[in-house]
Amino acid sequence: MASSKASRLGEDRRTRMDKVNAELVVLTYGTIVAQLCKDFDSDYVEVNKQLDKMGYNIGMRLIEDYLAKSNTVRRCSSFRETAEMIAKVGFKIFLNITPAITNWTSDGKQFSLVFDENPFADFVELPDDGRAQDELWYSNIMCGVLRGALEMVQMQVEAHFVSDVLRGNDTTEMRISLIRYIDDELPPEDD
Amino acid sequence: MATAIPSIACIGVIGRNNNPLHTSIFPSYDPSTNSYRPVRTPLQFSLILSSTLDVFELRSRQNAAAGVGLTGDFGLLHAVDDRLAAYGFETNTGTRFVVIVDMRGRRIDGTVAAGLADGRDSKRIAGAAAGLREGEMRPVFKAMQTAYIRLMQNPFFEPDEHSPPAGHGGKKITSRKFAGDMRRIGENWMPGVTNL
Repeated sequence: MASSKASRLGEDRRTRMDKVNAELVVLTYGTIVAQLCKDFDSDYVEVNKQLDKMGYNIGMRLIEDYLAKSNTVRRCSSFRETAEMIAKVGFKIFLNITPAITNWTSDGKQFSLVFDENPFADFVELPDDGRAQDELWYSNIMCGVLRGALEMVQMQVEAHFVSDVLRGNDTTEMRISLIRYIDDELPPEDD
Repeated sequence: MATAIPSIACIGVIGRNNNPLHTSIFPSYDPSTNSYRPVRTPLQFSLILSSTLDVFELRSRQNAAAGVGLTGDFGLLHAVDDRLAAYGFETNTGTRFVVIVDMRGRRIDGTVAAGLADGRDSKRIAGAAAGLREGEMRPVFKAMQTAYIRLMQNPFFEPDEHSPPAGHGGKKITSRKFAGDMRRIGENWMPGVTNL
């Protein structure tokens, strides 16, 4: 089945990991978020936006690496398959986690990724100012990464977190919706 | 018959500017009222914690002169009275952990003690009643250090606010996770526990 093949693919790639210490990455990301909060005077909505933008820039570059590392040879035949590849290969390669895919809408255009672990948030406790708990999406960079990466392979998506254990929710859940497949033939729209 | 065994009465974390970072107080068993309540007031505990600072300084000076023990367990700092005793640990960065142990802080039922005496725990309970063995506090400090490291890893925690590198003073630790860890350590420790 496609799903088990995807898991194997992720597992294979993982054993070939390069060397960088996980704590270093986690601390680096944490410092970025904390610094953004300081720079924007705890305007968490703006911080979320910035994180998403940074993620977008990462995603656009990361997709090449992903395609090379995962030996992808063909397009995903459906958005469902895309979801499988994101969760079981993409997240496995880069974060060594496999979020669960759930809550599909009937039209197959929206799904949720549920993270039972989030390496970015390992040591984090959100600031106790009464707003961070309601406004800051600590791992928002991941939304941007997915948006950027998928856009490079002709999929326009919208991604956002709907719950986070850091905020006291039971699960960490990201909602991803396919807006449209970007047609190759069309010239890029002017914004 | 009931046996009294040691328990933690108070945990203190002191910054490198001799500023209090965190204090947790735990109730001890009071046989006269058959209830649990702290054996000292918060102020008295605070004074005991302050009084350990001199011992820390003395010990670290001695250690420096002898060229040993830059970091780690300082062992028994001072025995306050026949019930309370303060144990200490200092990290390389000058943060100090103090644990005040109440030698009769917890009561275990006579039947439980007798039952344990038959089993593998007999030595443990016998040792517990007699006092504390060398190294008994090690798991406590290990757990406290782990909790402290986790606290420092939190990107929203500002070490400089709590122990300014120059000058003195500093804010207290407000992290709920850290307070919870201290609570867990204080409530779960008893002689013989090796993992917290």
